[in-house]
Amino acid sequence: MWAYVLRKLLYNIPVYFGIILLMMAALRVNDPVNNYLGKHPTPEQRLALEKDMGLDQPFIVQYVRFIVHIPLLDFGDSWKYEGTTVRERLIRAVPPSLSFTVPTLLAAAMISIVVSLVSAYYRGRPVDKTLMILAVLGMSVSYLVYIILGQFFGAFWPREAQWSLAPFAISGYEPWIGMKDVEGGGSAFFFSPTTWVTYCLLPVIVGVIVAMGYDTRFYRAVMVEECTRDYIITALAKGATKRKIMFVHMLKNALIPIVTRVMTTLPFLITGSILLEMFFNIPGMGKTLITAINDNDFPMIQGFVAVFAAVMILTIILTDVIYALVDPRVRLS
Amino acid sequence: MMKRLAKSRGLRRFMRSKIAMAALAVIGLYFAVAILVGVFRVITPADATVRVLPSRYPGFLQRPTLDKRFEVAQWFIDRVETKLNFAERRKTDVRPLLDELALVERTVAQLSPERLRQLIDEAWEVSDEAGEGFDLRDDLLDDLDDATRELASHRDPDIDTATLRPVEELRAFIQGKRTEVQASSGEIDSVLTRLEAVVLRIQPLPTGWAGMKYTFRTFLGSDYGGSSISINAFYSIKVAFQVGIVTATICVFIGTVLGAAAAFFGGWVDHTVMWLVSTMSSIPYLVLLAVLVYMFRGTYFDTTSNPFLSLVPLYTAFCLTFWVGTCRVIRGEVLKIKELEYVQAATSIGFGRFYILLRHVVPNATHLMFINFSLLVIGAIKSEVILTFLGLGVKGQPSWGRMIANGQQEVINFAFWEIGSATVLMFGLVLVFNIVSDALQDAFDPKHVT
Repeated sequence: MWAYVLRKLLYNIPVYFGIILLMMAALRVNDPVNNYLGKHPTPEQRLALEKDMGLDQPFIVQYVRFIVHIPLLDFGDSWKYEGTTVRERLIRAVPPSLSFTVPTLLAAAMISIVVSLVSAYYRGRPVDKTLMILAVLGMSVSYLVYIILGQFFGAFWPREAQWSLAPFAISGYEPWIGMKDVEGGGSAFFFSPTTWVTYCLLPVIVGVIVAMGYDTRFYRAVMVEECTRDYIITALAKGATKRKIMFVHMLKNALIPIVTRVMTTLPFLITGSILLEMFFNIPGMGKTLITAINDNDFPMIQGFVAVFAAVMILTIILTDVIYALVDPRVRLS
Repeated sequence: MMKRLAKSRGLRRFMRSKIAMAALAVIGLYFAVAILVGVFRVITPADATVRVLPSRYPGFLQRPTLDKRFEVAQWFIDRVETKLNFAERRKTDVRPLLDELALVERTVAQLSPERLRQLIDEAWEVSDEAGEGFDLRDDLLDDLDDATRELASHRDPDIDTATLRPVEELRAFIQGKRTEVQASSGEIDSVLTRLEAVVLRIQPLPTGWAGMKYTFRTFLGSDYGGSSISINAFYSIKVAFQVGIVTATICVFIGTVLGAAAAFFGGWVDHTVMWLVSTMSSIPYLVLLAVLVYMFRGTYFDTTSNPFLSLVPLYTAFCLTFWVGTCRVIRGEVLKIKELEYVQAATSIGFGRFYILLRHVVPNATHLMFINFSLLVIGAIKSEVILTFLGLGVKGQPSWGRMIANGQQEVINFAFWEIGSATVLMFGLVLVFNIVSDALQDAFDPKHVT
């Protein structure tokens, strides 16, 4: 088992180095200093920034130095926000992202599994057809449209019409769980679900609706495929009820591909949904990255990309391992 | 390759699916529009920016509100009057100035300046009348508001009810005011109709062929700058096809070549390709896009207004990410085909490896190329919207992405026409491509799980 994990890790290290190489090269195509300072910087400014990021060194030196610093998350100081390190800003951006991506992922997975079970149970019948038509229709609308209309009808309009029930903020974010300083020293734990509902529930709903179409179709296809297997026919022959076959025999086996698919969406937890964060103004990872890009904040971009790629690779390894664990047919050797 | 595909059982199964045929017909319609725009230049990018209406004029045959109608009428009168005054002060000929006011086919009437002046004065008179009507209505609405608030305070325990008018009286009062508001709205409506008739004499609607063109330009309303939404939306069909077909062709080509080579030759070729595939698929999609935005910032492609070259960053982003899926699928299929008897037979006869690959292996994976092509077109059209939002997308010509991104600001002003038309047209195209790719998959690759 551990040998398997180790081998996967070792295999993915060159992949990770490759990504870093590509990304670092891509980020240097346009001179980062010029991008930040405009077309005509003074030589002193130039030199200071180049020294800061070691941009005056040969590429290979920069590459090795960057790789060595990755495990410590030491990516230097932000250019735009002087005095803050990239690591600080990175860590600060994680909780807002998690507070809406975790519920989105869980809710989307659960609702889609239930809907696809219903669809597979009634397969070929009107219920199934309606659900699948809805899924295709839902898939055909642009992500941005869902966000814009969701924000308008969920938050903007109720507020404009002064309804008594306008639970969602149009945009913004406030911490809803954690420690805060109390007057007179010390800190206390606080937890406020209403704040979460105000700022995070609407993005969660939009995210779930977007994910539903794709997930439901995939899960239904998996389940229908599983229904044609021999063991299902055996169970039918020995007289098990249809319901029992669906929920006991089939669901267990169908869960293997479903778990894999849910795992592949895990990087989304950290990267956050850039678009949702941009529109709802949530200061998560995605929005921080986009802000850094717009500010031409080179150290931030480089650091974020390295972290995102690492998270992605770790999830891929984790997916392989979990897949091997749940499916005994996969050989570990 | 094509001949063999045409005779295949899968194609017959595909043709039998009625809904897929209907979807293909719809794609044909869209494609015809794209050809008309792209090849015959029925609509040029310049048409899309020209002013055809006052800003944010409602479309979809929706009638504008009374306030909007008043505003629009005043806008029409005002701009003609400004030009007349200007010409009078400078003592120049007014005609060229008036021609500048033309809303494409809708020109200012060919009348003498004196006659126009007369009409404008008449229009201002009617407009004043309408303004009085609006004042009256606003007073009524204020009264109504006060009464409603007073009625609500009856339920408030902190307020002494004795100071308030009794509930029954208030109810009757509100009822009376409501009918008055309705009557005054009717009055305003009739005044505005007169005002619009005068405006139509100053700047009449075109008739005949020009009139039809003008109706086409205006039936979906206008955006903030007053340019036609229908022109923008229909031009975008061409952009969508351009983006979709170019990306899908390049990606399917790269994916097939690399995937087939990796599976067929194995060894270091396979290792290199698979390393490339896992590297590319380990970069989160949106992060790659963000890096590309940074990479292309300020370069020639970012600043050019050439409609083809300005799309290069977009193509780069798509081609870097989308070939991976195709490559995986083709590699899997070729690995399977490689072991089949007919390939072994061909090898035993002594055919070369390249000959076998091109003649016997790749043709048997053609169906996968078609399915992937269709899926990639969908992906490209949908991603264009996101990329445009991030600033890497289409520039110098209209696209659905730009319309939707603009629509965000318009929606707050309750103007849904821009985002609505872009969404409806895009929804139609993506939907039919979805249906076609489903049908293709069912027909050629029925065992596949999506």
